[in-house]
Amino acid sequence: MDLINLELFKIDSLSTFVGVFVGLFTLLTVIYSFGFMDKKKGLFSYYFYIILTLVASLGVVFSNDLVLFMVFWGFLGILLYLLIGVGEKPNTSKTSKKALIIVGGADALMLLGLALIWHLTGTFKMDGMRIPLNSAEAIWAYLLLAIGAFAKAGVMPFHSWVPDTAEDALTPVTAYLPASLDKLLGIYFLVRLTLNMFVMNLDMNTFLMAVGSFTIIAAVMMALIQNDFKRLLGYLAVSSAGYMVLGLGTGNFIGIAGGLFYMLNGAICMSCLFMTCGSVEKNVRTMDLDKLGGFAKIMPITFITFVIASLAISGVPPFNGFASKWMIYQGIINVGKNGGSLWMLWLVATMFGSALTLASFMKLIHAVFLGQPSPENPARKDLAGGRIPKSPLISPKSSHGDRAEHREVNPVMWVPTVILAVLCVVFGVFAYQVPLKMFILPSLKMAVNFSGTWNATLATLLMLVSIAIGIIIYFLGTITKTRETESFVGGEVLKEHPDMRVSGVELYNTVQDIKSLKTIYNMAKNKAFDLYEVVSKIVFGINKILRYMHNGILPTYLAWCLLGMGILFYVLILR
Amino acid sequence: MAVYLLCLVLFSLGIYCILRKRNIIKIIVGVIIAEYAVNLFFILVAYRMGGRSPILSEGATIKNMVDPLPQALVLTSIVIGLATTALLVAIAMKIYEKYGTFDITKIKELKG
Amino acid sequence: MMDISYIIPLFVAVPLAGAFLIALLGKSIKKFPDVMGVLITLILCILSVKSVLIHNTYGILTYSAGGWNPPVGIGMVLDGLAVFMLVTVNVLAFCVAVYSVDYMEKFTAKWKFYTLFLLMLTGMNGVVITGDIFNLFVFLEIAAVASYALVAFGTEKHEIEAAFKYAIMSTVGSLFILLGIVFLYSYTSTLNMADIANVIMLQGKGNIILLVSVLFLMGFGLKAALVPFHAWLPDAHPSAPAPISAMLSGVLIKSLGVYTICRIFFNVFGINPAISSTLMFLGVLSMLVGVVLAIGQWDFKRLLAYHSISQIGYVILGIGLGTPLGIMGGFFHLFNHSVFKSLLFLNSGAVEYATGTRDLQKMGGLKEKMPLTYSTNLVASMSIAGIPPFNGFWSKLIIIIAAVEAGKFGYAFCAVLASILTLASFMKVMKYAYFGDLREKWKAVKEVPFFMKLSMVMLSLICLVGGILVFGDILQGFLGSAQEALSRGTEYAFTVLQGIK
Repeated sequence: MDLINLELFKIDSLSTFVGVFVGLFTLLTVIYSFGFMDKKKGLFSYYFYIILTLVASLGVVFSNDLVLFMVFWGFLGILLYLLIGVGEKPNTSKTSKKALIIVGGADALMLLGLALIWHLTGTFKMDGMRIPLNSAEAIWAYLLLAIGAFAKAGVMPFHSWVPDTAEDALTPVTAYLPASLDKLLGIYFLVRLTLNMFVMNLDMNTFLMAVGSFTIIAAVMMALIQNDFKRLLGYLAVSSAGYMVLGLGTGNFIGIAGGLFYMLNGAICMSCLFMTCGSVEKNVRTMDLDKLGGFAKIMPITFITFVIASLAISGVPPFNGFASKWMIYQGIINVGKNGGSLWMLWLVATMFGSALTLASFMKLIHAVFLGQPSPENPARKDLAGGRIPKSPLISPKSSHGDRAEHREVNPVMWVPTVILAVLCVVFGVFAYQVPLKMFILPSLKMAVNFSGTWNATLATLLMLVSIAIGIIIYFLGTITKTRETESFVGGEVLKEHPDMRVSGVELYNTVQDIKSLKTIYNMAKNKAFDLYEVVSKIVFGINKILRYMHNGILPTYLAWCLLGMGILFYVLILR
Repeated sequence: MAVYLLCLVLFSLGIYCILRKRNIIKIIVGVIIAEYAVNLFFILVAYRMGGRSPILSEGATIKNMVDPLPQALVLTSIVIGLATTALLVAIAMKIYEKYGTFDITKIKELKG
Repeated sequence: MMDISYIIPLFVAVPLAGAFLIALLGKSIKKFPDVMGVLITLILCILSVKSVLIHNTYGILTYSAGGWNPPVGIGMVLDGLAVFMLVTVNVLAFCVAVYSVDYMEKFTAKWKFYTLFLLMLTGMNGVVITGDIFNLFVFLEIAAVASYALVAFGTEKHEIEAAFKYAIMSTVGSLFILLGIVFLYSYTSTLNMADIANVIMLQGKGNIILLVSVLFLMGFGLKAALVPFHAWLPDAHPSAPAPISAMLSGVLIKSLGVYTICRIFFNVFGINPAISSTLMFLGVLSMLVGVVLAIGQWDFKRLLAYHSISQIGYVILGIGLGTPLGIMGGFFHLFNHSVFKSLLFLNSGAVEYATGTRDLQKMGGLKEKMPLTYSTNLVASMSIAGIPPFNGFWSKLIIIIAAVEAGKFGYAFCAVLASILTLASFMKVMKYAYFGDLREKWKAVKEVPFFMKLSMVMLSLICLVGGILVFGDILQGFLGSAQEALSRGTEYAFTVLQGIK
């Protein structure tokens, strides 16, 4: 009964790759936090938790023993809980509770998976474990372990903690955990499961692709109708996790490499987006898209980084998101070539998802950075020459200084976002030379044969064409915007009429009015798709019945005892 | 065999009393009855037909004695029963003080 | 070898003497009850640790009370299982006694408290070390009667009601145990447990043994609060003063219920598949019913009490599996549960001490005012929810692995489900008690006094260390010998009887 084996840690190229980026994200988050965290209380514990998270994440990445892995993995759950708990929104405690229940609950399911693996192989060493998915136990083991990875990465239906966290936690925490680190680790474990520990078959691959596609579409549809900046980003983070799972599910080299590459790119982009979002938050307290607007002029650096990251994650060339999505598309097409049946469906899902992602970013860019500032926000004051009195929405720190403070956040905060944006560009333009060659292909151990499938000329050409299309799309977006302002026909200067502005969310609200979608959206609003809410309703229902049975009357209790004894008597003796 | 059955009847009576009576004093009495039924049963189990008292006197043989051990045990058991009963009655008095009733179905503030 | 065995009766004699002395002198000398209470439990704690070493060197020890050899006299046996239980009980008792020094200031008659407390401890230690089944019953009753009185200690409305229900149900349970002992005696004509095992082996298992099994399952199951015999527990445990709740949930239900079930069904009767699957079923049922009931509670201590039912379910599931790994996991969980559940009850006591309420809805934001209580409670919550690296994780992992190994996939899944719900309900506790905004009412709340803090810190350290020590030999040896004692089953009889001769 040797539960703990030696050789607890192992370093290979995949773990090195993930480990390096875990370190990078931690570094950037810490730098960013120096600027973001202005409250003094709890600062020590905040940084302490971040360091512990780094240690635990590295433990997850480098451990080779499943039990040890599980220890670090579960510990990350507590750290997530504690880090979300640092926030000060009214719902923070509720959100942190929900996050830990979902993540920790998935961890508990993983324990069962672990037990099944022990049952199947008699070892917990992750390398050298090649379990074929030919028995019910093996399939359950894979699914249960994958649930852990899904919950961590925020794949549907275990996603519901991500948008909530995005809304209620501190922004650097969101940028650090759900947006980047948990994605990296969740997908890392899924890769380990899929490539190293189990031998995949077609059905399981199809299952992964279905989960991925569903996540992409459903999450991005939810994102479209959100009116909270951070919550919208949260849903996009969920959607990006879908691409990673889909990529892995293709089961061929290029698709898996694309999925891994997208894991990196998604983490970079989402982290960057949340950080820029935090920079905006620094100036205004509200995150309601209706009330934001006009930040492009006062926060140029933030604006540019935001645009780069959002274009990257929407898959607009030449940024990194495109490079990886392109690989995923190829992977899906290869699935079709190899006789997979539903490949068109997945392809359409990814394309559609990309388009909708772009649409939701147009909404964000318009509502936050371009558009007219709303009467309440400080940007309006700058634009309108300071005629609007200071509103309570302005955060206390920025309200006492002069107008320069409303401009750009300090360098400590924008430097990390710029670094991430630069990474977006570099990993896009030099996709093959830098990230693929250095990190991803070695992790998959197939660098040699790969360049054949990778058609460099075609890629470049496509990129150029795509850039052109991207520019057109961008202008189309601008045109749409001018169309929106047509309602304004008075001939006055717009700046002086704050009530005439277009908020940038109304257009997207019409999506909800499409008939077939309306019921679904309504159900989503009532949280009918939130696994957490559904399960808790069922549990509380049973709880009510059981509590009713415990009526406090002693003879009832005694009757149960005697009845129980009678049943035991029957079962053990008479039968 | 009949005595054993009588014991069973006594025990059932006690259990019935605990289950069906609403007055807590009667419930306590039920507990006592059931307890004594068990004690009686213990003594009866050790009894040998036509056996004599287990006292080793001069000239007597050890043959055909009743088993003395259960008698000692039952004494202990009675003492335990006494302690429990005393405590139960004391608690019952306190309950009457606090709730103003002996009805067990009305003493149900702790539930759910 | 026989010289060492003088240690065995000390586990009963020392607390009994302590109880006597406190009852005699406690009223007149002011600090006497505190000092004696802590001292006696400290001595017991040291003795129990020593007994581990003794057991590791000498193996099973026996002691004959008054020099009368069993089966005539009363025999006491110190084997792996007994040693394990003694350590659990006495370490916990020490922490609780330390805690009580400050906590019981609220109540008037401290000496009565310590007297009853030590009597209860006597009963529990006695149950664990005795080798005689009627003696086991006597000690069980000593512990039970003391616990009825302790539940009613506050003499408020709810305490009295809970104590009455507890006392009646527990007495009924004892009646059936006594009835079982009568049947057993009539069949085997002996009371020494080793001897009984021997006789059963020679005569074979008649139907009467099955009848006795049913009676014992009900009686000891009631003491262990297995569903459907559990209904007294959620009333009784919250109503006692916090340290007593910790003792009741932490060790009383285990030494009176789980230990006795193990001892009798494994070592005396010899486990068979029917009993084994019954135990597993009862365990899983308790696990699920307990946790589902717990999740909707708003009374802090009542929530914890329902969790005791649920966690006992894990222990019984592990033991019921009957495989070495399962038994090991069950015992490990028993130990862990007694540590973290006691800690949780002590936390709830600390919160009640500081704020005067047990209603979770009335609390909030206590994190800043009571940082130590908060952090120890976090450790305990994570332990009970089975989050690594705390000790609860390891025992749950072992139980789940054992269940899967035994092919009980459904039970393993239920264990996981209960674990998720446990996590959820403790997240609820943390959220409502410690997070959120601090209410105006609690602005003046202070952290609890020194001895309460000390005790909570000790227990949370055990939670942490227990998780780390799982790799080491210490815990393996400690748990291993307990597991071995059960796995060997009725071989127990030979070893014990050999020791006597």
